[in-house]
Amino acid sequence: MGPQPARVVAPGDSVYQLPEKGEVRVGSGIHQDGQHLITCRPGLLSTTQSGKVWVAGRQKRYIPQVGDCVLGRIADKHSENYGVDINTPFPASLPVLAFEGATRRSRPNLQVGDLVYARVTAADRDVDPELVCTDASGKAAGFGAMTGGQAFRCTTSFAAKLLSQPTPAILTALGRALQFELAVGLNGHIWVHSPKPTTTIIVTNTLPKGEFLSDAQAEMVVKRIVSTMQ
Amino acid sequence: MPKDIVSVPLPRKPRPVNTIVHGTRLDGRGPEEFRPIFFSTGVIPQATGSAYAELHNTKLMVGIYGPRPSDRWVGFSEEGRLDCDVKMAPFSSWQRTKWGQSPDERAMAGLLGVALEAGVQRSAFPKATVDVQCLILEAGGSELAVAIAAASLALADAGIPMRDLITSCTVSRVDNQLLLDATSDEAFQEDGGVLLAMLPSLGQVTQLLVKGEWAGSELEEAVQLSMSGCKDVDEICRQVLQEAVQPA
Repeated sequence: MGPQPARVVAPGDSVYQLPEKGEVRVGSGIHQDGQHLITCRPGLLSTTQSGKVWVAGRQKRYIPQVGDCVLGRIADKHSENYGVDINTPFPASLPVLAFEGATRRSRPNLQVGDLVYARVTAADRDVDPELVCTDASGKAAGFGAMTGGQAFRCTTSFAAKLLSQPTPAILTALGRALQFELAVGLNGHIWVHSPKPTTTIIVTNTLPKGEFLSDAQAEMVVKRIVSTMQ
Repeated sequence: MPKDIVSVPLPRKPRPVNTIVHGTRLDGRGPEEFRPIFFSTGVIPQATGSAYAELHNTKLMVGIYGPRPSDRWVGFSEEGRLDCDVKMAPFSSWQRTKWGQSPDERAMAGLLGVALEAGVQRSAFPKATVDVQCLILEAGGSELAVAIAAASLALADAGIPMRDLITSCTVSRVDNQLLLDATSDEAFQEDGGVLLAMLPSLGQVTQLLVKGEWAGSELEEAVQLSMSGCKDVDEICRQVLQEAVQPA
């Protein structure tokens, strides 16, 4: 099972027959039915040399995975944790002590509606997802409350693309032309902040357009928008 | 309503007496032909997934919302729930419908749920509910069958794991002739009807609704016809999803 050009699949397509020996690592969007692997959602069938198979879908809903960086909105405030809406079927919980330097005495003061950038530490079908606002060594490392700027939604696949290497052309072109801060959550939330509100608005409006643009087209779009701005 | 405005019901266009003239149907189709089919996904921005379907006069939209935590009164369940709701727009048929859910809508919601449930992997979202909301904009016949196909497209668009796409079509018997994809005029004249929903790739039937009296062989013929119809709808659905994933 070597790498193949990406193939578009729909639910119910039988994509592979399991080999006699060897290892196949089945990812999301595929299930096994006897000797066959069958897709269960539409998307691009993706494979790697090492035998991983999954369906890269263009979905709005987010299924949490341990280690993912997500952007969430505080939905509930409890004594020990915050309830955070990260676009999953069930709200995630963020312990108040899961911030850098937080103790029982000095706890973060977040309000309902605040935006936080956090890391998923527990995700299972039987328990609600759990978040922390520190990296593995307990440092803030960019996680925490996002103040100012504005947030918008995109598909989860576009969010993953923005975080992947090489960086998509639309983002590099925008970064060359304008000065702004960006936080991308794998759950399909993007936060933009810049000193000038106009820049924030331009990035908010332009970035989602880059999902289906080729590199040259993306460059052109950004050039045009920046030229009209000055 | 001000007193000087009087609501006058529109005169009803009479139903045609014969729906088959010289072997062809009133809209010029053969007995085993569909009306022109149009599907499209991603039509409701705030929904998780959505689809619009149009078969000539039958027009409807399906929105998928969720999964969201199930209501407390539902209780714990290992398998997720599909909460189906079918709404006829007040202007969808000749007679303006009253406010509130009609028995027809309730029955259609139940049938839609049964047809979809067998195709959706409900174990993938335990304790959660997916809302399937169908709005019939124009009722030109075979609404339920179109709603099932559109709902499965919307579920696929939402990324809800499914065993297969679910497609559906109707067959009506008018003057001892089997007609695929009946319009409302033909369904009005029918003395027997079949609605079949299936998982085309797996060859499994999820919903079979038979009205009227049927001889065994005749029913078999009608089911075969509707199964081949479902396969045709499936082909179109797959094309639509392909274009949605990779816009040209």
